[in-house]
Amino acid sequence: MSTHTKMAAERKAPDGGTETDAATRRRRSPTRANPALYLFPLPAVAIIAFFLVMPTLQAFQYAITDWNGFSAAFNYVGLDNFVRAFTKDSLFTNALTNNLKFVLMVVIAQTAFSLVLALLLTKNSRGSILLRALFFFPTILSSVSVAFIWKFIYDPNFGLANAVLGGVGLEALQGSYLGNNAQALYWVAVTQVWFHAGQMMVVYIAGLQAIPRELYEAAEMDGAGKWQQFKSITWPFVAPATSIVVAYTTVQSFKAFDLILGIAGNPPKQSLDILSTRIYSTFANSEFGYAAAQSIIFMAMIALVTWLQRRLLRLTPKGE
Amino acid sequence: MRRAGPVSYTHLDVHKRHGAGRPVHRRRHRQGVSYTHLDVYKRQGEDKAVFDELIKRFAAKHDGVEVAQDISTSNDYNAQGLQKVRGAAIGDAFATFRGAQFKNFTEAGIYTELKDSKAVGNYQPGLLSAGKSGDSQLGLPYQVVFPMPMANADLFAKAGADIAPKNWDGFLAMCEKLAASGVIPISWPGGDVGNGGQLFNCMIANNAPVDDMCAQIEQGKLKVTDDWFIKMLNQYKELIPYLQPNATGTAVEPAQNLFSQGKAAMLATGSYHIAAVRGLGATFPIELVFPNTSDGSGKYEGAYNATFILGVNSASKNQAAAAAWIDFLSEPENAGYYANQTAQHVTVDKVEYTNPDLKRLSPWLEKKTALAARFQFQNLDVRNAVEASATAVVSGTSPEQAAEAAQKIVDERL
Repeated sequence: MSTHTKMAAERKAPDGGTETDAATRRRRSPTRANPALYLFPLPAVAIIAFFLVMPTLQAFQYAITDWNGFSAAFNYVGLDNFVRAFTKDSLFTNALTNNLKFVLMVVIAQTAFSLVLALLLTKNSRGSILLRALFFFPTILSSVSVAFIWKFIYDPNFGLANAVLGGVGLEALQGSYLGNNAQALYWVAVTQVWFHAGQMMVVYIAGLQAIPRELYEAAEMDGAGKWQQFKSITWPFVAPATSIVVAYTTVQSFKAFDLILGIAGNPPKQSLDILSTRIYSTFANSEFGYAAAQSIIFMAMIALVTWLQRRLLRLTPKGE
Repeated sequence: MRRAGPVSYTHLDVHKRHGAGRPVHRRRHRQGVSYTHLDVYKRQGEDKAVFDELIKRFAAKHDGVEVAQDISTSNDYNAQGLQKVRGAAIGDAFATFRGAQFKNFTEAGIYTELKDSKAVGNYQPGLLSAGKSGDSQLGLPYQVVFPMPMANADLFAKAGADIAPKNWDGFLAMCEKLAASGVIPISWPGGDVGNGGQLFNCMIANNAPVDDMCAQIEQGKLKVTDDWFIKMLNQYKELIPYLQPNATGTAVEPAQNLFSQGKAAMLATGSYHIAAVRGLGATFPIELVFPNTSDGSGKYEGAYNATFILGVNSASKNQAAAAAWIDFLSEPENAGYYANQTAQHVTVDKVEYTNPDLKRLSPWLEKKTALAARFQFQNLDVRNAVEASATAVVSGTSPEQAAEAAQKIVDERL
């Protein structure tokens, strides 16, 4: 340490100590200096503990019991409920299969559709802004409203879908929609995509608008076509947005509970039963222990799929 | 759009006023214990206005009592209703629907014995069985509904169709005549599990070898792969030409519209939809038709259900007020008001029906009708699976395959 520095460090600080002491105090954690600061997050911690941690722990406890939800007595049954879900309950495995199909369909369709919309509507022209607003509009509706709107669109007798097909002479394509067990899930997936694609479009538009125009100008001067521009400029920039879109869409599709119940009624028929509606039915059937086990499987499933996505979709801009 | 089936319930809060003055705030009532909450299942939106009037009359007779009504949807009632009522924070008096829910509430010990209550004496004894548990009369089924197809009598007359077929061939011949006259014979909401399932009560009544057939299916004593059940599924298959196109994708509201607009001659839900159909503008005379699946020697002429089971909460600190409310509802004059305003028959005796639809359908109260069988199921997964076998047949699955799929789920839950 130089003499000047040493002198400066030993200069008296306003509180009577030296500046070296003050610097040491600054480096110290504020909570060490003032332990009372620990009290500030306590309300938030208490709320999270009470409304999130405790119920989750309770769910783990119930999951290993045969509790029916109202009786004072119950037995601990170990992992029986988990085993039952995968080996002795075709309604659960059916719901699981439906849910995975639904997630896959919606993730692919919604990601592609919202990207195409964003590419078409990136420019800030009046027409684009109006169309963006139109495509975003469903997002502000409640899922129950969306379900009822589409329930009536799909109605085979009075619905808009069959009316339009009939109006243009395509009676042969008119269908039963939700009444057709092989197709019902696809039609609900269409509704889900219509509901959320506008929201995802906005995420993509934000990504697209961050791309410097000069890159496209340079590419055009180099003679790059539209596809090459998309591949080399657009996609690398919007790839991180795709990670967000896929993760968000996955979670939305897993918990499409209100949309399914609104569109298919309670309980939904087997072809439209997904994990969340199945869990709800199990609770309604007074099998709380088993329903808790199903909930834990559901939670693990979402965690697993999200983790897999993050592993597989490490989409970051080039150079990062 | 009116609700269909047991889809909403009402909370009625009964408060005692402190003195005859203005009502005291609800929170003070909770603290003061002078508070009763009634959860009442509703079948039609009109019920709210009817209960408002009954509440006025009740309050006028019981000075110092205030009753407040609030309505919630009950899609989640089965999952949450019991939890809400068991602590008696709400629901000093409450209602359940027949079957699994009544059983759950009974096992939870929430019902109070009503055998010696004043109210019981007002009911037709034969209609109280749905509220019994062993020797105890825990609940009072309030409504009598007929889960049978409603018929547009004008369309039947125009087609020259027999409105009271004696056997299955007669029923199909009736449908054929209606179809020939240019209308859809049966509007069936196959896309709505709850309402679509009501037809099952009629179809199974004369096919099953025993009266507790659904209970025995659930216990594994009878199987849906048995001949009698397959025969019933084949009869469902024979109905396909007489149902509206894409019946398995039809929700209840469009099905009601087909009927109320005169495009369909029958609505295969039940008498609980009379008010809804009238609300949609139907002015034609409404009758009931029993799809008699027998060869003419069937045991039953129809199907009925006694439901909307009123009870007093055993955990309530205000049981006297709750019992008074149920006594009040059980008086013929008040039950009659409820019945005539909502177009629902009631189980209370000596009720005068002035509603034209109820008057016309009252003879059904005297007929030999089977208690709706689908409510014997205690496990809702089993019930839905068994009923879904019929829907699957209508959508094109073979009866044998549909039965096997349903039996698999029954076996898993044995």
